[in-house]
Amino acid sequence: MLGSATALEGAPGATKARKRHRGEALVGLTFVTPAVIVFSVFMFAPLVMTLYYSFTRYSGFGDAQPNGGANYAQIASDPLFWRSLGNTGIFALATVPLSLAGGLGLALLLNRAMPARALLRALFYVPVVVSAAAAGIVARWIFNENFGVANRILTDLGLPAVPWQTSGPAAMVSIIIMSIWSTLGFVMVVYLAGLQGIPSEVYEASALDGASRWRTTRSITWPILAPTTFFLLVYLIISTFQVFDLVIVMTGGGPANATTLLVNYAYTEGFEQQRKGYAAALGVVLYVIVLVLTLVQWRAGKRRDLA
Amino acid sequence: MPTPPRPSRRSFLSAVGVGGAAALTGTALSACGGSSGSSGGSGSDSLTMVLWGADAEVAAFQKIADAFEAEDGTKVELQVQPYSQVLSKVDSLLQSNNAPDLFRVSYTDIGRYTGVGALADISSALPSGFADSFNPALWAAVQADGKPVGVPHHTDCSAVLYHQDHFAQAGISDVPTTLDAAWTWDEWTQVLEQLKGANLPGYPTAVNWQAAGAFRWLSFLSQAGGSTYGPGGPTGGEVTIDSDAGLKAMTYAQGLYTKGLHDPSLLVQAANYPDDVFPTGKLSTIYAGDFLLPALSDSVKDFEFGATFLPKDSAAATDLGGNAVVVPENAPNAEKAAEFAAFLASKQNMIDFCQATTVLPTRRDVEADELEYAVRPDLMPVFVAQATTIPEPLVETCTSATFSGVNQALQQELEKCFSSGQSPQETVDKLAADIANLKA
Repeated sequence: MLGSATALEGAPGATKARKRHRGEALVGLTFVTPAVIVFSVFMFAPLVMTLYYSFTRYSGFGDAQPNGGANYAQIASDPLFWRSLGNTGIFALATVPLSLAGGLGLALLLNRAMPARALLRALFYVPVVVSAAAAGIVARWIFNENFGVANRILTDLGLPAVPWQTSGPAAMVSIIIMSIWSTLGFVMVVYLAGLQGIPSEVYEASALDGASRWRTTRSITWPILAPTTFFLLVYLIISTFQVFDLVIVMTGGGPANATTLLVNYAYTEGFEQQRKGYAAALGVVLYVIVLVLTLVQWRAGKRRDLA
Repeated sequence: MPTPPRPSRRSFLSAVGVGGAAALTGTALSACGGSSGSSGGSGSDSLTMVLWGADAEVAAFQKIADAFEAEDGTKVELQVQPYSQVLSKVDSLLQSNNAPDLFRVSYTDIGRYTGVGALADISSALPSGFADSFNPALWAAVQADGKPVGVPHHTDCSAVLYHQDHFAQAGISDVPTTLDAAWTWDEWTQVLEQLKGANLPGYPTAVNWQAAGAFRWLSFLSQAGGSTYGPGGPTGGEVTIDSDAGLKAMTYAQGLYTKGLHDPSLLVQAANYPDDVFPTGKLSTIYAGDFLLPALSDSVKDFEFGATFLPKDSAAATDLGGNAVVVPENAPNAEKAAEFAAFLASKQNMIDFCQATTVLPTRRDVEADELEYAVRPDLMPVFVAQATTIPEPLVETCTSATFSGVNQALQQELEKCFSSGQSPQETVDKLAADIANLKA
């Protein structure tokens, strides 16, 4: 076999094939090079630099002074880190499932023939393109506990006014509401794309079998949308771990740090306190958390696919 | 040749999900870096200056820049940033060796640059005797290692603005018009109680200590006769913020909230400010700086407002406001930048700037009470007189290299005291410990 393989390699046809492969590889490399350069300069290099700075004491001026794992040791005993991590976890736990459920509901609704469907889809998508800072400013007035629209509506309905700005849980709820509002349209559009990729024959078959609408949604639509859901889940978790501007504009992280998220805390340490090394360590911790969460979901997704 | 298998939609979405994790998290790490912005460099015949400012301030800066170009031939390009982003913008420019020629910086932020040698010595570009023209404490604020690194461009301070109709409805007619007659803390509490009892909309008062303004509580401390540090100041003095005066000032400040006299939503970590709310008529009084007068004159439409002095206890005191203009160590054109800084702080330019923007001069040869302020000149005498009560130890504290740490400690502990019921004693004790750690 080996002899014949060697003989084949020496044949004129094999040389041509090798050349063709080399040519294809070259074309492939040409295509990926811009992406590799962009990712290296804007993604991988900053990641490596962040990791380096996380082991230093660095104000941003002068030279970074290596300090071993002192930043990480301090993070472990820093109550503000744990508070902001807890806040971020609560924020993600509330925002992600509600955005997924709401977006799926809207997509199912707007996937049907109905009047003004295109207009409704566009309207639900508008918040996605509104700047978070602008939305935050408007929301700050809506949720103003003394004279905001939210409390006026609640009191008009005979409900008690909510201390949106002076109660930690209420302030967190206001951030969650705004975050869901701004994400829902994106989730809806991605689910709509997924729904339109499902062949109509499958639904026809289920109808012939007498499946109810709920049964069809649960046993056909939802499983087929699983990869879309996985993508959205990963995307939304990462997005929630990145929320920054909404908090700064709406609550300033208060009251009493109740809405301070990890990125806000890293920003404060890095840019207000000029503790770039400590902020870099916070960034690395954030990176590891998101990476682990993603890998866990990925493995869970793979197991489900194999099952 | 075998056709490579086409990726299914399922595998594609999975790959995008995992790949996106690294990419987006990477973005998260770098998201807080702010924009590196465009080049801060300039040619020999032009300068760049990074600043923030209200419309009136930017217009006043532009007028002076135009005058400099007409006189010297050097164009000054103003790069205006939102106030909330100016520090990260300046830091990223300095750290990427892409520094502007000059930048505007508040006195309370200047220590973060002088402490690390990030600013240039401009003494060679200053005329002899230049320093003698300035208020010594503010001139000291723009020194690094005994050398001037910029000019103290202007100052401002807080006083009380009040809703005249609310005062009339509450029967408050005898409003102090001189510093000596300023209300005491007890009298001020009575005034606020009277406003509260008049069933007016909103709350009697709000102090401007939100976000980076947490340090304004230090004027309460000074009014009670206390200071952050003992003799020796921020570098060599003991931390004394937990003195009896500190405890008294903290108890008084907390009482404004617990007695329902202060708008509870305007806590230290709040994202909105008293001057946002005042125009709605939902606050009867606010603590506000004179630099806000142009904006408030536009936004307050439904009522008249007046000004009076901050209440006093054993002493009258207000906070240190205002800004310097400094030259970075790695400025492309430091020599010319220094000339422009001196031009900005020349007598006539300072007069013009202060008159146009209702801020106070830092030059001793400019009489603040003789200026013709463009907006609400009737209220400015209150601020001019109040500015004489900025305590020197407060100036030293606010311009020290560790001040951002002091301010952060205040942001954290005041918030707990005002919103979560942390006792005044525990608050001043924690502040003292946090500030002592900064010194260590």
